[in-house]
Amino acid sequence: MSSNFFNLLERLGTAGVDFVVVGGFAGVAHGCTYVTQDIDICCDFSPANLLRLSQSLAELHPVHRMTPNRKRLELTEKNFKQFKNLYLDTDIGQLDCVSIIDGLGDYKKVKQASEVIDVEGVQLRVLGIDALIKAKKAMNRPRDKEAIVQLEAIKRLKNPKTDPC
Amino acid sequence: MTSGKKRSKVAKNISRRTDEIQAAIDYGVDISLLIANSKKSYAERIRRHQIALSTVEKLRAARRR
Repeated sequence: MSSNFFNLLERLGTAGVDFVVVGGFAGVAHGCTYVTQDIDICCDFSPANLLRLSQSLAELHPVHRMTPNRKRLELTEKNFKQFKNLYLDTDIGQLDCVSIIDGLGDYKKVKQASEVIDVEGVQLRVLGIDALIKAKKAMNRPRDKEAIVQLEAIKRLKNPKTDPC
Repeated sequence: MTSGKKRSKVAKNISRRTDEIQAAIDYGVDISLLIANSKKSYAERIRRHQIALSTVEKLRAARRR
């Protein structure tokens, strides 16, 4: 089955999962032109939220894609503490869930730096452009260089008269 | 008009070519695409990304066959 990121995010949102879209897909929402092949979210790793996340994905056969046997995602109130991040593969795309973002901090800080966008009637929290630039600079990966360049240009296009200094 | 000429014309039309926009042009970013995206809604950007991703996945699948 091919990827469908909006469907994935819609499921999470409908299930009441507390999350913020971060990473490359947040850049796409802000107007970046590249194609990203996974969705990164930062979420509250509380047991209740992880259980909602697990239930919302259940129909999509989620597995831990970094484990050798692609172990099935089975979150329970007993085992949730062992996870700091989840790198999942589902029937409709890869989903990475992290609890902390470099340069920003934990979920609470990430949520504060987010904005709510409306996509076809679905309200999604997406990391704000300034925070996204900050996070990508903090990660300092060569592959983020173009994203940073694009995001800074997008920011300038939005505010042509603002002096950056 | 070739895409190179079009890009150049759009770039020239930016009345205030700031450092960030020049940096993107120098990096090789097609600024006309960023301008076009900036005029789209969030939903439209996500929809177009989905189309591009589906195309990439189809091409990859074709290459594997």
